[in-house]
Amino acid sequence: MRYEVQVGDALLRLEAAADGRTLVDDAVVAAVVTEVSAGVLWSVIVDGAAHEIALLGRDPLRLWVDGVETRVQIADERAVAAARRGGRRTGGRVEVRAPMPGLIKAIHVAEGARVEAGAPLVTLEAMKMENELRAPQAGTVTKIGTGAGATVDGGTLLVVITPD
Amino acid sequence: MRTCRDLGLRTVAVYSDIDRAAPHVRFADAAYPIGAAAPAESYLNGDRIIAVAKRAGAGAIHPGYGFLSENAGFAQAVADAGLTFIGPDAAVQRALGEKTSARRLARAAGVPVAAGTMEPVSDEGAARAAAEKIGYPVLLKPAGGGGGKGMRVVRSADELVAAWRGSTGEATTGFGDARMLIERLITSARHVEVQLVADRYGAVVWLGERDCSVQRRHQKLIEETPGPSVTADLRARLGESAVRIARTAGYTSAGTAEFLVSPDGSFVFLEMNTRLQVEHGVTELVTGLDLVALQLAIAAGERLPFTQDEVRRDGAAIELRITAEDPYAGFLPAGGRITFVREPLGPGVRVDSALAAGMTVPNEYDPLLAKIIVGGPTREIAIARARRAVRETIVAGVPTALPFHAHVLAEPDFVAGRYDTDYVATHWAAARAPTPDGTAAQAAALVAVGLQRHTAAAVGSVSSAWALAAREDAQR
Repeated sequence: MRYEVQVGDALLRLEAAADGRTLVDDAVVAAVVTEVSAGVLWSVIVDGAAHEIALLGRDPLRLWVDGVETRVQIADERAVAAARRGGRRTGGRVEVRAPMPGLIKAIHVAEGARVEAGAPLVTLEAMKMENELRAPQAGTVTKIGTGAGATVDGGTLLVVITPD
Repeated sequence: MRTCRDLGLRTVAVYSDIDRAAPHVRFADAAYPIGAAAPAESYLNGDRIIAVAKRAGAGAIHPGYGFLSENAGFAQAVADAGLTFIGPDAAVQRALGEKTSARRLARAAGVPVAAGTMEPVSDEGAARAAAEKIGYPVLLKPAGGGGGKGMRVVRSADELVAAWRGSTGEATTGFGDARMLIERLITSARHVEVQLVADRYGAVVWLGERDCSVQRRHQKLIEETPGPSVTADLRARLGESAVRIARTAGYTSAGTAEFLVSPDGSFVFLEMNTRLQVEHGVTELVTGLDLVALQLAIAAGERLPFTQDEVRRDGAAIELRITAEDPYAGFLPAGGRITFVREPLGPGVRVDSALAAGMTVPNEYDPLLAKIIVGGPTREIAIARARRAVRETIVAGVPTALPFHAHVLAEPDFVAGRYDTDYVATHWAAARAPTPDGTAAQAAALVAVGLQRHTAAAVGSVSSAWALAAREDAQR
């Protein structure tokens, strides 16, 4: 099975060959993955170089790599092929969700409004502080999923922006 | 509590409903619930805390460094209940706790203060008039507050309404006091504070300074001693000023005088923290003193066991605050469940931590999870050790300030000691997440693929999942 793995800014092609060998970008590497703490921490030795990897979070997948926290995305060969055919699209909308439970103190935009990247959208009070949630990119506000005064759970959809 | 155990003193913890399993509860000799998670129902409920103290047979109450630690009314109530309050007397707290009163006191002690109101301001109209007189930009500060909460920068008159509403709102929730101090905003300054201790017999000794300029939202992220920009002359002037303020106030116990130092070495007094501070550990590391033990001794009526000349400060120390905040999202606090923790060890490293795997970070309280305090014979060695400590640390499940610390500890201006209170805005805003390379990236990719297959196929482990991928391929 072949995979394309995006580790931070780097794209790697991995292959688990039928004979048990591991190939990275078509070169055979000697890699040993050993679990240290079940499901969270691994020691990985690649061609003699020792690395520690920890699982920080899933969805999106975040790994700790020798002290560096990084995002990782994986596509197996079927997904890679499908993406190349242009099959998958995210739908072209940007969702702003509550990063934590809290109280909606104010909503600064209305449906249909145009916002620039960085424009304040919602003020969320949590952890004794008021937090300004801002537009991750420019676009048009196509949906507001909450109202001022509402108490929301972490992950609640607050605002949908359709990018320009 | 560790100090008490060292001294053979028994400890009683109080806890809110959601803190049942918090470290202070597990560490104490006795523990009592005091109510619901909301601070007003528990940690700000002085009567309930005093009732528990009496029921448990405690002789003294240490208020820590949050909630009621700077509340004169609480200090008074503790004394009235016949218990010892570990900290300055209520009268001293009253004089120093309200910020404009502290400014009047500093001026009386001959210590400079920033241009601003010398009385608290309680309505928006008066605030506007005061701001016009001082000249924009100004800073709104809750007069009865601390810890940077509720502070707002106001750059022009049209920003005042929103800022006033925000600040007074947060001040009411946080401190039960909506009154404000309005002060001229001083930019490109360093936040330098002086730790002092004072006994009940008039002895006041300062224990060196801490530079706390690396802040976001006026809240500290990194503190270090000695301050890299503080000359021997400036240090002496700051120390003398702190002592003068303490003497004028009749201060007792441990306390901190905060100053803003301009690039030319001139300074103004900001406020006095009438409590132990989060960052007291760096001073302990270089002086070898236990500040909590000193607080306890002073509260018990003992004399300071050393004079100013006997204070020794060796080497340098840095504290890194590990908060549950996403540094790549404007330090937005983030709650959640901690899935894995590894704290750093090794030479020069002390960790004061509330972290435990499986715990949930409460949304109700401050996002501070742990403090990594690192010392060494020189600032260079302390920074190298801090870098090593941060690299060792893993906190999984919630975003933390760790990537920020890793970045700063390798950033040339910080390493050279060139930074002020604008540092986070000027040096972090554009920082990009680092990316693993070489075999590190390969190792991460291997684990990631194993994890994905592990989840899909429910095989025993990531390593066996990877082996399985190869076998499946062979069977195709």
